[in-house]
Amino acid sequence: MRTTQFLLASAALSAIAGCSTISGWFHGAPEAPSAETLAGTLAETAKPALAVTVHDGEFAEIQQFVTPGGVSVWLVSEPSIPIVAVQMAWKAGTASDPAGAEGLSELVTYSMNEGAGDLDSLGFQTAMEDLNMSFSCGAGAEWTSCSVSSLTENAPAAMALVATAFAAPRFDEGPFERFLREEEIGLQTRETNPNYLAWRTIAQSLYPDHPFARETTAESLANLTADMAREHMRTLMTRDRLIVTAVGAVTPEELAPLIDEVAAGLPETSSVAPVAPVDLASVPVARVVVDLPQPQSLVRFIGPGIDRANPDFFPAFVLNYTVGGGGFESRLMKTLRVVKGLTYGISTSLDPNPSMLTWSGGGQTKNESAGEFIAEIKSELIKFVEGGVAEQELADAKAYLTGSYPLGFDSNAKIAGQLMMVRQENLGVDYFDRRNALVTAVTLDDVNRVSKTYLDPARYSFFVVGQPQGME
Amino acid sequence: MKRSLAAGLFALFASHALAEEAAWAPSTFTLGNGMEVVVLPDHRAPVVTHMVWYKVGAADEAPGKSGIAHLFEHVMFKQTKNIGPEEFTSIVQRSGGQLNAFTSWDYTAYFERVAKPQLGKMMELEAERMVNLIINDDPKGPFISERDVVKEERRQRIDNNPGVILQEKVLSELWKGHPYEITVIGRMKEVAALTPQDGLDFYKQYYSPENAILVVAGDVTPEEVRTLAEQHYGVITPTGTVTAERKWQPVTPLAETQLLTHEDPKVRQPGWSRYYTGMSQRRQPADALALDVGLEILGGGMTSRLYQSLVEQQQLAISANAYAWTTLHDEGPAVLSASPAPGVTLDALETGLMAEVEQVLAEGFTEAEVIRARNKLAANAIYARDSQSGMANAFGGWLAIGGTVEEILTYPDTVRTVTPEQAIAAVRSVFSSEKHYIEAHLLPAEGDL
Repeated sequence: MRTTQFLLASAALSAIAGCSTISGWFHGAPEAPSAETLAGTLAETAKPALAVTVHDGEFAEIQQFVTPGGVSVWLVSEPSIPIVAVQMAWKAGTASDPAGAEGLSELVTYSMNEGAGDLDSLGFQTAMEDLNMSFSCGAGAEWTSCSVSSLTENAPAAMALVATAFAAPRFDEGPFERFLREEEIGLQTRETNPNYLAWRTIAQSLYPDHPFARETTAESLANLTADMAREHMRTLMTRDRLIVTAVGAVTPEELAPLIDEVAAGLPETSSVAPVAPVDLASVPVARVVVDLPQPQSLVRFIGPGIDRANPDFFPAFVLNYTVGGGGFESRLMKTLRVVKGLTYGISTSLDPNPSMLTWSGGGQTKNESAGEFIAEIKSELIKFVEGGVAEQELADAKAYLTGSYPLGFDSNAKIAGQLMMVRQENLGVDYFDRRNALVTAVTLDDVNRVSKTYLDPARYSFFVVGQPQGME
Repeated sequence: MKRSLAAGLFALFASHALAEEAAWAPSTFTLGNGMEVVVLPDHRAPVVTHMVWYKVGAADEAPGKSGIAHLFEHVMFKQTKNIGPEEFTSIVQRSGGQLNAFTSWDYTAYFERVAKPQLGKMMELEAERMVNLIINDDPKGPFISERDVVKEERRQRIDNNPGVILQEKVLSELWKGHPYEITVIGRMKEVAALTPQDGLDFYKQYYSPENAILVVAGDVTPEEVRTLAEQHYGVITPTGTVTAERKWQPVTPLAETQLLTHEDPKVRQPGWSRYYTGMSQRRQPADALALDVGLEILGGGMTSRLYQSLVEQQQLAISANAYAWTTLHDEGPAVLSASPAPGVTLDALETGLMAEVEQVLAEGFTEAEVIRARNKLAANAIYARDSQSGMANAFGGWLAIGGTVEEILTYPDTVRTVTPEQAIAAVRSVFSSEKHYIEAHLLPAEGDL
């Protein structure tokens, strides 16, 4: 927190300015219908009425529908800014890379905006600029996702371009070789990146044989081909697993045909092996130091987490605020930063991903104080186990967590992200409305029970990257 | 004035634009004590972003006191006459609020984001610390531990990162003799010597309503904000200690070319860059916009000349960029930078990159390139409206360095007037071959690769 803008990005006034006209919009650009002609065109070719279920929730009015082509969409119509954001996701990610072909899913997502149909990479990128749109994809361990942003007036042309990327991606040799050059550099730079080194050490120590621990290597990159990427794309991105969320100045009737156009080029289904969960509770804890020459030590600690279905989940979520999730209101920040001056920041978080449930945290301190830093973390955790939290701390946590919840819904981008999270985690369309009550229902007995069960430092593995001193 | 301006801006927009205009048109007014107020209505969610900007930053620090603006910003969270130690944050977070602050060379800003009903309370809190801050002078007390926190912040943001260490050296040379010469967080030695009295002196000199700008974005009307602002801020008497003169001055163009290198065992990929004396949108309004357009074409993205030549065709680089910091009050750097492809030396990279730059300088830009670049910059302004806090930052940051609301509103129109001739002229005026520059090489430590 409390950041300093002493190294400003190259943000021009462009990133900050106010409003706009569309004069000169189409110079040199593909013909794109204006908002008015879009409405007119749709009216002429109107299909039978779309069945839309409206959930008029406290934080967002969510419109749910299935397109004529069979794609399930959640949309929040927000007319006040003439932009549209569409997010697409499929449950299949880098864990699906064949053994020895690590990096394949990343190659697929890297290639998605690198040429399609008649357009090579430069042609595709230029078309996106002409439309003032963005389209990019990425792959996580278990999810592949793509996002599109467009001005409302350009949405039909933007989505048509995305449709060609899904129907006729080129996987040209040029971008493929560029991907390999970038990855080759990445193999070098990751070896001195403290966060990467911490991740690798955690993975190798706690779940070395799990797909989540796999890394790209020079060998796996050498095994990749553009043809493999073309084929693997049809494993990752299918119509039956596609979920879509959208926010912006668009109606269900306007959006549905655009989504269908985009999904039309995808295969109906594919076979993706499920990922076995990592159970950290069944693994012995680890203590590992990775040497890296820099003034500070990065400290990470990680222990078993809690499933959302477990009655301990919401108590733990509330408790985490007092432990390390509440910024300056957390005990770790109060002790390690405010009182001791040992760090610029320390935090903890609870990850409810069913494939790997964790409760983890971390921060950085000068090498000279690394031992003291870790000892203080453990001492704070022991205090939770032995004494739990005070009534006032619980009340403060609940007041913040419920009171600040609306702040997560004040932009189209945030709402789109929230909708996607609810869909990916299957929390239900009414989750936003139920969530604050789940926080409020947590009692002091609940959090103190969870403190005892989960916060014993003996349950946590500790990892340090740097040149720490004073370690036990 | 404002209404006709806004109507003109939206005249070409689709029909919903007229309704939109009334809903979000910014308004400004000034309280009796000189505090400026900007209101940015955004009624999508029942929340507000409340910011107080002070027209003081690292550029205003006294010699030997580098880092005081930023350390003082941290101290503002500590204690006041009516708010106990560390209670400020507790009160805001108990109110469901998020809060933070940041310091630049040009300004210091504090903000809270809260549900709309909490706005009055946030004003009460900010007004309290504008006049009643207490700085504990216990030699083992909170000022001292906060100084240690800032030292950790410096290690985390700068000293851990070889690329940032090099950039700090380069900027210090580029701005030699200018108030921006020292990085905002300050020199480690000078920070370590700052005292509670330094904090108090800084507070008394600069923290006063006539030196502040209130920005409220979100689910509010100008009338609501005026009522609350007069109640909480309007009653504060100006200290009268703030001098109108900032320490800003034009940046002297580099008088000689030099090479700076930084070697570090953590570097696994060398880096090449050249820093030239650039422009600012405050000092050279028209030319700086033309420069932004020109650099978008030269090195702004995958379609840029540098990317296409260096990364795609010659395959000498994995990235190649051109950009300028034009939003500081005084001139910032204009930069050419590239990261070599595997096996390519910095010499070969430099030769290829400068050949492309010289060709662009000689030939200029096409009409189509300029239209695409300026449309991109103008469209970014529409996308930017999605972020309530981003908009509050944009208006606050621009007004704090003396800009106007009108200039932000007309930006998309203004940027669309940039011609190919203006764009290339601006780029030539910065990068032409007779200009001096600082070349920066980031290198692996000897024997490391």
